[in-house]
Amino acid sequence: MIEYYPIVKQVHIASVIASGALFAMRGAAGLAGQHWPMSAPLRYLSYSIDSVLLTAALMLMTMLHVYPIAHDWLTVKLALLVLYIVLGSLAMKRAREWRQRFVSYSVALVVYLLMAGIARAHHPLGWLRWWGWA
Amino acid sequence: MRTTQRLWWGLGLLLVCSFGVLLFMGTEIHRLAPPMPERVVTESGEVVYTRADIEQGRVVWQSIGGHQLGSIWGHGALVAPDWSADWLHRELIAWLDLRAMAVHGKAYADLSVGDRAKLEAELRPLVRANTFANGEIVISAQRAQAIASVAAHIDSLFGTGLDTARLRESYAMKDATVDTPEHRRQLAAFFFWTSWAASTARPDSLASYTNNWPYEPLAGNEPTTSEFMWTVFSVLFMIAGIGLLGWHYAVYHGKDRAPAPPATDPLLSLKITPSMAATQKYFWVVMALFLVQILLGATTAHYQVEGQELYGLKLAEVLPYSLTRSWHTQLAVLWIATAWLGTGLYIAPAISGYEPPLQRLGVNFLFLCLLIIVVGAFAGQWFAVMQKLGLAHNFWFGHQGWEYVDIGRFWQIFLFVGLMLWLVLMGRALWPALRQRDEMASIVGLLFLSTVAIGLFYGAGLMWGEHTHLSMVEYWRWWVVHLWVEGFFEVFAVAVMSFLFVKLGLVRARSATVAVLFATVVFLSGGVLGTFHHLYFTGTTTAVVALGASFSALEVVPLAFIGIEAYETYTHSQATPWMARYRWPIMFFIAVSFWNLVGAGLFGFLINTPLALYYMQGLNLTPLHGHTALFGVYGMLGIGLMLFCLRGLRPDAVWNGGLLKTSFWTLNIGLSLMALLTLLPIGLLQLSAALENGYWYARSAEFMGRPIIEVLVWMRVPGDTIFSIGAVALALFVAGLWLRRGEPQSLAITATS
Repeated sequence: MIEYYPIVKQVHIASVIASGALFAMRGAAGLAGQHWPMSAPLRYLSYSIDSVLLTAALMLMTMLHVYPIAHDWLTVKLALLVLYIVLGSLAMKRAREWRQRFVSYSVALVVYLLMAGIARAHHPLGWLRWWGWA
Repeated sequence: MRTTQRLWWGLGLLLVCSFGVLLFMGTEIHRLAPPMPERVVTESGEVVYTRADIEQGRVVWQSIGGHQLGSIWGHGALVAPDWSADWLHRELIAWLDLRAMAVHGKAYADLSVGDRAKLEAELRPLVRANTFANGEIVISAQRAQAIASVAAHIDSLFGTGLDTARLRESYAMKDATVDTPEHRRQLAAFFFWTSWAASTARPDSLASYTNNWPYEPLAGNEPTTSEFMWTVFSVLFMIAGIGLLGWHYAVYHGKDRAPAPPATDPLLSLKITPSMAATQKYFWVVMALFLVQILLGATTAHYQVEGQELYGLKLAEVLPYSLTRSWHTQLAVLWIATAWLGTGLYIAPAISGYEPPLQRLGVNFLFLCLLIIVVGAFAGQWFAVMQKLGLAHNFWFGHQGWEYVDIGRFWQIFLFVGLMLWLVLMGRALWPALRQRDEMASIVGLLFLSTVAIGLFYGAGLMWGEHTHLSMVEYWRWWVVHLWVEGFFEVFAVAVMSFLFVKLGLVRARSATVAVLFATVVFLSGGVLGTFHHLYFTGTTTAVVALGASFSALEVVPLAFIGIEAYETYTHSQATPWMARYRWPIMFFIAVSFWNLVGAGLFGFLINTPLALYYMQGLNLTPLHGHTALFGVYGMLGIGLMLFCLRGLRPDAVWNGGLLKTSFWTLNIGLSLMALLTLLPIGLLQLSAALENGYWYARSAEFMGRPIIEVLVWMRVPGDTIFSIGAVALALFVAGLWLRRGEPQSLAITATS
C-alpha cells in the first residue's frame, strides 16, 4: 500500500488546493451578489472534490499510522477543519446578513491557511513554527 | 371459472408441487450428505481425529462467528480464506513437499516442472480416493504428516503464534481468536473434514461430495460435466421464460383502463387508531438501527485494510471483524424487518377500519420484545466471539455462526414467538376485511398470506440442532434466507405496493388482484426451487445442481419486465395533483424496481449459474449482489413504506422535501459507487485470480494484500460517505417530523412535499 504514498499525497494536496480555490471563488462571487456559486453543478463539483480529499486523507492516515489524538498537529488540524466547515456553511448559505457572511468567509480563509501551515509543518503551530515561534 | 379463481388454484398447485420437490430433495440431501466418520485413522491404525473432534471443532468455529470470519464451502465472509479451500491447498502442498523430499531429496517448490507435474499426477488419485468404510476414513502416514503440519498452522493462526501475526492482521483476526490449544486442534479437525469432503470422490462418481468445489487443480477439482450442461440449459430456460412472459404481457397487460382518480386523497380521512399511533416508535428504531448498521458496515470494510485497528484504535480487542460483520448483517435484516412489522401493524387497522381490543398493548409489547431480542442476542454474540461464554452455552445463547440466522437458539425462538405475535396482531385487525367477499378480499388475503409466510418461514431456522449435519443446516438455513428474500419478500413487496395504490383509488381492485396473483405465481415458480442454487456445493448431488440452475434462472424472468412496473408506479404518481404528497415514497418504490433489475437481476444472475458460482462464490461479486439486492430492493422498500406510514402518522408535520431529496439521491448514488468502484472491480480481479491459480488464491492474503486491491477497498470511502449522508438526512427528516412544528400540510400540495 505504501507504494502508492507519493500519488495519494499528490491527490490529497491537489484536492486541498482545488477545494480551497473553489470555496474562495464561490464565496467571493456570492458576496458580490452572484447566484451561480450555489448552482447545482458547482455544488456537486465541490462535494466530489471533498469526497476525494477525504478518501486521500484517510488513506494517508492509515499508510503513515498518523492518527488524531496520538498526533497533536493532526488533532488541531481536524478541530480547525470542523471550524472551517461551520464557517464555510455560514458564508455560503446560513448567515443572513452580508456582513456576517463576509466575516465568516474571511475567517474561513484564514482557518484554511492555518490548516495548510499545520499540514506543511506537521506541528500544531503551523506557519508560526516555520517563522521561528517555536 | 373466473381469472382470480384460476390463479388461486394455479398458485396452490404450484406451491404444493414446489414444496413437495423441495422437501423430497431435502431427504435426498440428508441421505447422500458427506459421511461423518467415527474416526480418521492411518493405515497403521493411529487415530488422527475422532467424530467428537470434528463436531466439537464445528462448535468452536461457530463460537468465533462461523460464517462471519472466512467461509466454509464458499458460504460466509469475504475476508479471511475459505477454510475448506485453504486447508485443502495447504495440505496438498505439505503432502507434495513430503513426497518431494522422499523421492528427490528437496522441496517441492525446488523441483523441475516435469518432476512437479509427475508428483502432482501421482498425488491426485490418492486425494480423490474415497477410503471411507465402516465409519472410518483411512489415510496414509504421509498424509497424516501433512495434516499435522496444517493443523500446526491453524493452531498458530487462531492462537497467538508470532509466525502468523501478519496473516492474522490480513485476515482481520484478533490474537487468540480461539482460546485453548485443544479447541484449536478440534477446529483443525473440522476444517480437515470439510476439505476432505470437498476433494474426495463420491462412491460411484467422479465428482467430489461438493461437486468438485473449490476449484483446485492440484486435487483435480474442476467443474463437472453437469455444471457445464445445466449452466447452458439454465440460460436457455431463462430466455424461453422471458419470451413467454413477454407474450403474456403483450396479450393481457394494460387492457384495463385505469379508474378516474378521486378528487382528494382518500387516505386523508383515515382515522389514526391508538395502535396505529403506537407504531411510530418502530420507525424511530428503524432509523437508529439503520445508522448503527452503516457505522458497523464502514468498520467492517475498514478491517480489510487494517485488520485489527481502526485508525490507530485497537478495536479488534473489543470489537473484532467477525462481530462487526455479524451485527452489520443482522441489523440489515432487523431494521428492514422492523420497518415492515411497523408498516403491517399500521395498515392492518387502516384496511379493516377496526381496532381490536388491547391492540395497542400488543403493539407496545411486541416492540419491547424486539428491543430485548436485539440487545440480548447481540450481547450473547459478543461474549461468544470474545471467548467468554464457553462452548456449552454457545448454541443457545451465543453465536450460531450461520450467516443471517446466527443469533443463539434461545433468541431465535424468542424472535419466532415475536413474529407469531405480529401475525396474531395483524390477523385480528385484518379479520373483518378478510371475511368480506368484496373485490378487495383477494388482495387483502394475499397481503396477509405473504406476512404469514414471512413469519412462519423463520421457523425453518429452528429445524437444525447443535450437531445437525452441515449439509442439512445449509439446506434449512436457505429455506429462511432464500425463501424470504427471493420468495415471500417479493410477494409482500408487490402486494403491499399494489394494495396502497388500490387504497389511493389509482388502480382497480380487480386488476390489482389479478396482477398480484399472477406476479406471485411467476415469482414463486422460480423462487421456491431456486433455493437450490445456494446449495450446489454444500455436499449435495447433481439433481440439486440441475434444479437449482433451472429454477433460479426463472427467477430472473419477472425482473426483465420490472421496467413496466416502475413506469406504472411513476404513472400513478402523476395521476393526480394530490399524489405529490406521496412523491418520495413513490420515488423509493421506483428505486426498488431499479435495484430489483440491477442488484437482483443483473448482479444476481452474474453469480447464479453453476459454472459462474463455481468460481465466484465467496468473492466480492457475492456482496456486490448482496448489497445491491438487500438494501437496493428491500431497504428501499422499507424506507418507502416507512415514509408512507409517516405521511399518515404525522399529517400535520412539515415535510422537509430537501432532506428527502438529498436522502434519496445520496443513498442511490452511494450504493452505486460502492458497487462500481469497489465490489465489482475487486470481484472481477478475484475471478481472474481464481481462474488462473485456483480458488484458494483469490481469497489468499497474498492476493488480497496487493496494493491495487487495497486501493480499490479505499475507493469505498466516497460511496460510503455519500451513502451515510443519505441515511443521516433521512434520520434528520424523521426526527424533524416530531421536533419541527409548522403549518398543517395535510391538504397542501407543495413543491417540496
